[in-house]
Amino acid sequence: MEEDVVDYTLEYAKSKKVEYAEVRAQSQVQERLILRSGILEAYLSAVDSGFCVRVIANGGIGFASTNKWTKEEAKEIVDLAFKYAKAANRKDKIRFAEEKGIETKWTVNQKEKIENVSPEEKISKFVEIDKSLASCGVNITATVTSCSTDLTSKYYVNSEGSRISSFVPKIDVFVFITVAEQGKTEQAYEQFGYSGGWEAFHEWNATEKMIHNAKVLKDVITKGKAVKPGIIDLICGSEVTGIAAHESCGHPMEADRILGREMSQAGRSFIFKGGPYWIGTRIGSDAVTVVDDPSIEHSYGYYAYDDEGVKARRRYLYKNGLINEFLHNRETAAKLGTKSNASSRAINYDREAIVRMANTFVLPGEMSEEELIEDVKSGVYMKSFTEWNIDDKRFNQRYVGREAYLIENGELKHPVARPVIETTTPKFWTAVDAASKNVKFDSATCGKGDPGQGVPVYTGGPCIRLRGVYVK
Amino acid sequence: MSDVLSKTEEIVKKAKALGADEVIARTTFGRYRQARFSNNQVDITVAWNDYVTDVNLAWKKRIVATQIHNFQDVDASIKRLLELAKVSKENPLFGGFAKGSFRYARSNADKKLQDPTEYVFEAIGAAEKEVGSQIDSGGILFTKFEDVYLVSSEGPVGADSRSAIELSIRAFSEREASGHGVECNSTLKDFKPSRAGSKAGEIAKLAKNPKIGEEGIYDVVFDPLIFGSLFGVWGSMVSAFSILIQQSVFVNRLGQKVAPENVTLKDNPSAYSMASRIFDDEGVPTRENVFIDHGVLKTYLHNTSTAKIFKTETTANAGLVAPNAWSIEMDSGDMRREELFKQVKRGLYLTNTWYTRFQNYAKGDFSTIPRDGIFLIDHGEIQQSLKDLRISDNALSLLGNIAGISKERQHVHWWGEADPPSLSPYVLIKDVHITKSK
Repeated sequence: MEEDVVDYTLEYAKSKKVEYAEVRAQSQVQERLILRSGILEAYLSAVDSGFCVRVIANGGIGFASTNKWTKEEAKEIVDLAFKYAKAANRKDKIRFAEEKGIETKWTVNQKEKIENVSPEEKISKFVEIDKSLASCGVNITATVTSCSTDLTSKYYVNSEGSRISSFVPKIDVFVFITVAEQGKTEQAYEQFGYSGGWEAFHEWNATEKMIHNAKVLKDVITKGKAVKPGIIDLICGSEVTGIAAHESCGHPMEADRILGREMSQAGRSFIFKGGPYWIGTRIGSDAVTVVDDPSIEHSYGYYAYDDEGVKARRRYLYKNGLINEFLHNRETAAKLGTKSNASSRAINYDREAIVRMANTFVLPGEMSEEELIEDVKSGVYMKSFTEWNIDDKRFNQRYVGREAYLIENGELKHPVARPVIETTTPKFWTAVDAASKNVKFDSATCGKGDPGQGVPVYTGGPCIRLRGVYVK
Repeated sequence: MSDVLSKTEEIVKKAKALGADEVIARTTFGRYRQARFSNNQVDITVAWNDYVTDVNLAWKKRIVATQIHNFQDVDASIKRLLELAKVSKENPLFGGFAKGSFRYARSNADKKLQDPTEYVFEAIGAAEKEVGSQIDSGGILFTKFEDVYLVSSEGPVGADSRSAIELSIRAFSEREASGHGVECNSTLKDFKPSRAGSKAGEIAKLAKNPKIGEEGIYDVVFDPLIFGSLFGVWGSMVSAFSILIQQSVFVNRLGQKVAPENVTLKDNPSAYSMASRIFDDEGVPTRENVFIDHGVLKTYLHNTSTAKIFKTETTANAGLVAPNAWSIEMDSGDMRREELFKQVKRGLYLTNTWYTRFQNYAKGDFSTIPRDGIFLIDHGEIQQSLKDLRISDNALSLLGNIAGISKERQHVHWWGEADPPSLSPYVLIKDVHITKSK
């Protein structure tokens, strides 16, 4: 990464009539491998490196990027960004919420450096996973495994004096399996993500988790029974709690959606000014507090400063059942008269930073899992999910269970095949009466933006108990 | 031969000299522009300049790839790549890169596609004519211009210029009444942003005062845009790689009837398409591939390796690992749009969808959430605007239950939801399962 080109770009941008300018450079050392049923399909090794400039001029925003590291190219992209910003000709001028310039460096440490792990070792680890799956006693008819490692260096400067360097190593593994028994199939995938070094691979126990998943799918085929549709209690495992926190709390609390900036793609929010839901409105029971926290060390969604140079902190989105704090970048914060809470993220140098989640999860309660279950007369324990989705106002959602069990008189019974909860955001969160003590996280890639930007996140939480919801 | 093509060829020669068995280098100079707008104003205009050479190399059936961003880095990059190949693992099913020298069709790219902002207000204005001054609209105008140079050690050498323009607009007449329109093309010829704006506005106007719909089994008329999303599902499932990994309802169904007689689906990245290209990533000339012919599944989409596994020929859909559909077309039907609606006694008209997710790709069970205008049809007429419904059905059943196809077709593409681009008609599907929140 050529920092002198970045500094030059900022100085050149500042020489224009701009209200604000920033330059963000990113260099990413990438390795990717993909295996199909134990066969290595391909191994990619590359370095992607470039920089972008974003300016505010005449109340409009222009952005341009390049991966050619020359001063001539730098001038070209500044000229383009400046031209586009002015051409916007907006009636209401864009400005950013105030921030002080920051000079700092931050890094994520690795116990076992990714760059010291040879391609042979990486390949052999994943071939071993496949071999273990092939001999686990379940008829697994197809597997797809991918592993990505990224060593990302960033250098960010802006016209307010910020100068921030960072280095973040990340590892991401994805495993997809198909199980066939008795002429029927079931499928499951698992994603593992971590900010840090190769030590993550040893801590994940990916092989054991996938063997567990395979056995669960076999049980669903051979022993699973459909649930009798009706109003019952539902206990959501941390994976289900996490996806609900992400989809029906994190997303609707993104201020750019609330303001309409994503209306044509990811959509809007059921929360809007003048509508039935706003800050202070009840959306769930007292037992529900959902936070988004980028500062969890080594989490998949970890960062110390966001891509506008704002220091990361925990955000309380729903607090004791009340809508509490939106996710903001500097643009949305200015529009709603507040400060950024460091939610601005970009997946690469060629994408604008937009409002994103980091690690979204429900805070724990005080009960054990067993205590949650033993107080359920008739219900379902949905430990994990398969199909899921939510509408673009983030109000109507659906989660279909992957590993699920019937609960009768406080005891777990037989597996339930694909139980479904299809409900609204307030009904879901208002039904929660208790949460377990333990929080668990799952890794995911959150999609948003146009062009799409998949950012690494954690979803998670404790087990939560929903009283009297319709399950089919 | 252009300078860039020569430099691309040099990469291939160097890799061969260092011991690679087969090499493909593809250099892309891309210039992409996008204006994003919401609340009827431009939020940001973005320009990306991207210079990259993708190198795919095989050594003793070990497949490795890299990207080179600077021609000065070539020697070191190729050396590293070959070293990587030597410690990599053999793929016994690698069938080699495509062999032969080919004649390609002429590229028809439009070099005028540079400034993205000029059409935005035309589209907003057209939507406003329908909706009135209370309109709230957002969307994108995107342009692409790529020069692509490909050299393969196995023979193919080619240069292609690829351009595309897309205007996507979502218009709101009320908080919960919206319509979405798109206008897509490979060139400016026949590109009419006002068409997208008018359609978005018309639907938004019709969608006013929506009521929560009822669960049930409906006959549904699909708008070209929402049907474009279903093409994305079937197009992905017809890739031979999806078959190999069992993420498809088409596994073991070649030669079988999967749809009614009136359904013919093809992949065809021809001149008009946003995804137009004259060769695939192995340098094989692209062509029309009919994959469902009058209801019968005829072929999967292949690169050279998957074709060898399935004992057939490549269909020129290569990516390195997975073959991809480029641009899907459905043959026109024999009814006008209005006649299609007249077939529906009591049903729905759906205009757009998002968030399509599967329980099981092999079985095909999935759900997706319609957005923008959802309408109740009564005796062929739109009776009521609805909201908050979900399609919860099966990918194979929907294909099998197609009951009518319109003569009119539209070139559609939207975000990652209606992707790849397609030439899509209005389609009537019987007995679609609709659910809602309880």
